[in-house]
Amino acid sequence: MSSLVEVRNVHKVYKRDSFTVPVLNGISVSVPKGDFLALMGPSGSGKTTLLNLIAGIDRPTSGQVIVDDKEISAFNETKLATWRASHVGFIFQMYNLIPVLTAFENVELPLLLTHLNKAQRKQHVAAALSIVGLSDRMTHYPRQLSGGQEQRVAIARAIATDPTILVADEPTGDLDAKSAHEILELLHILNTDHNKTIIMVTHDPKAADRAKRTLHLDKGILVEDQNAQPAFGVR
Amino acid sequence: MKFTKLIVRNLFRSKLRTFLTLTLMAAIFFFVTTLLSILANFEAASNSGEGQNRLGVQSSISLANPLPLSHEQKIRTIPGIADTAKLQWMGAYYKEQKNFFANFAVDHEKLATVWDDYSTPKEQLEAFKADRTGAIVGPELMKRYGWKVGDRVTLIGTIFPFNPTVTIRGVYHHKFDSSSFFIHWDYFYESVKDINGGMVGTFWVRVKDPKDMARISQQIDDMFKNSEYPTETFTEKEFQQQFMAMIGNIKLLFTTVSLCAIFMVVLLAAITMSMAARERVTEVAVLKAIGFSRGMILTLMLIEFVTLGLIGGILGMFGAKIVFKFVNMTEATQGFLVNFGVNTETAATCLIAA
Repeated sequence: MSSLVEVRNVHKVYKRDSFTVPVLNGISVSVPKGDFLALMGPSGSGKTTLLNLIAGIDRPTSGQVIVDDKEISAFNETKLATWRASHVGFIFQMYNLIPVLTAFENVELPLLLTHLNKAQRKQHVAAALSIVGLSDRMTHYPRQLSGGQEQRVAIARAIATDPTILVADEPTGDLDAKSAHEILELLHILNTDHNKTIIMVTHDPKAADRAKRTLHLDKGILVEDQNAQPAFGVR
Repeated sequence: MKFTKLIVRNLFRSKLRTFLTLTLMAAIFFFVTTLLSILANFEAASNSGEGQNRLGVQSSISLANPLPLSHEQKIRTIPGIADTAKLQWMGAYYKEQKNFFANFAVDHEKLATVWDDYSTPKEQLEAFKADRTGAIVGPELMKRYGWKVGDRVTLIGTIFPFNPTVTIRGVYHHKFDSSSFFIHWDYFYESVKDINGGMVGTFWVRVKDPKDMARISQQIDDMFKNSEYPTETFTEKEFQQQFMAMIGNIKLLFTTVSLCAIFMVVLLAAITMSMAARERVTEVAVLKAIGFSRGMILTLMLIEFVTLGLIGGILGMFGAKIVFKFVNMTEATQGFLVNFGVNTETAATCLIAA
C-alpha cells in the first residue's frame, strides 16, 4: 500500500488576542491509501485540527501536509478550495445539509464546481444516493428526513465527486445507536467495497472499533497508535 | 447558470423577510421614481421647445418690482423683435385662499401672437378680446371648479385691491400649462391705475429668429442699464427656472432626497445581507469545506441581494408607472403637474440605482 497522506512534524498554534495556544506539537502521521483511520482523544486534544489540516481547511503553522503527492500545506486559500472540491469529501457531526435544497440538490452541490454537465451530474448524484440507500428520497428536503437519513445524504454529498479522501468529524455524534450503527456500516462499506480512504474523528470507542486503525491524541501529541502498521503508523 | 437554483432558494428562504424587504424597497423606489418624474416633468416643460423664441423682461431688482409701461415702446425699437406684450401677475384666488392658481392680466391683443404655443379657438379668442371683462382659462381649472364658457367668476385680489369679476370667454390649450387664468389687460389696468399707474410686472418679447435671443436680451438690458428701472431679461426657460428657484432649489432638494432614499435602499440591503450572512455562517463554512472559494460565496450572496434590489426597483418603478397611468396627476396636483408620467430615462435611472 502506498502512503496517501503524509503529515510531517506539523505544529499548529492559534492566536487568541495576545495569547498563543499551541494545538498540535510536532505531529507526524502517515495514512496509506484505502486506510480507515480513527482519531480519538479528549476535547481540545487537537484531533479536529489535525483533520482540518489533512482536509485542507486549515494550514499548519509549521511542518508539511502532503496528500496524494501534493504538498497542500503550501497551497494558498484559492488553490486549497479548488483542491478540496475534487479531493476531499466532508462528513460533519451535524450533517450540515443546506436546508433550502432537496437531497438531490445537496448531493449535487459539490458537483456544481466540476465541469460535469447536467446529465452527468444527475448520474453521479443518483449513484451516490443509491450507495447510501436513499434513491427514493431525492426530492425530500432535509427537514423531511430523519437524522440518520440526513447523515446518509451528507455522506452521499461527500462521495459524489469521488474524492481522494473522506474526512468525518464525529459522524455519529448526533445520532441514536441504530442510526449510528447504520452510518458506521456505510463508512465500512465505502472503505472495503469502494476502497475509500477514510479519516474519522470520534469520541465513541464503538465507532473507532470499525476503523482499521486508531490514533490517540492528547494535548497536541500522538500518544499511542493502536493496531499500528509499521510502515504507515506514527513515526 | 448552475447556481441559479441555490440563489433563488436562498432569496426566498425567509419568505416573510423577503416580502417585507421587497415591499420596503419597492416603496422607496416608488418614491424615488415619483420624485425623479416630477423633476423630469419640470425639465420637460422648460426644455420642451415651447417659448424658445420668447424673452421675459423683468426688473433687475426682483420679479416683485414693476417696470414702467413706457419701456415697451423702447424695447420694440430693437431690430429682430416680432412683438411684445405686457403680463401682470395678480396673485388672486377664487372664493377661498386655498383655491389659488396662476392668474394674470394679459395684453389681450397679443395673447395669440406672443404666446403662440397657447392655442384658443378663434371665436373664443375674439370673444375674449372683445370683452373687457372677459377671461381665458386653462382646461384643468375649468374642470376643477366646474366652470363653463360664459360663466361669471369673481377672483379676490391679494397684491392689488381689486376683485375682478370676469366672464369666461374661452379655454386655451397648452402642452404643459393647463391651469392658468388670464384676464383682459385693460380691465386690470383701469381698475388699479390709481395705485399702479404706468407700471407692469413683466414684458414678454417674441423674437423673429431664436438665434437673436442672446443679442436682443443683452440689448434690452443695456438699454435700461442706467435708467431708474433697470431690467433683467431672461429666456422663458431661465425665467421658469428662476421662478422655481423662488420656491426653493427644487432640483437640488429632489435630487438630494432621491439620493438619500437610494442610500436607504443600500443600507436596507446591507442590513438584510448581514442578517442573512450571519444566519448562514455554518452553511458558508460547509460551502467552503466542499470547495467553494470565498470569492464565489461572496459573489453568490451579492447576486442574491442585487437580485433583491433589482426586483424591488422593478416593482417600485413599474408600480409608479402603472399608478401614474391611471391617476390623473394634473387633477391631483391641481394643475401643478401636467402630462405627468414616468418616462424611459427616469425608469432607466431607477433600474440602474436598483
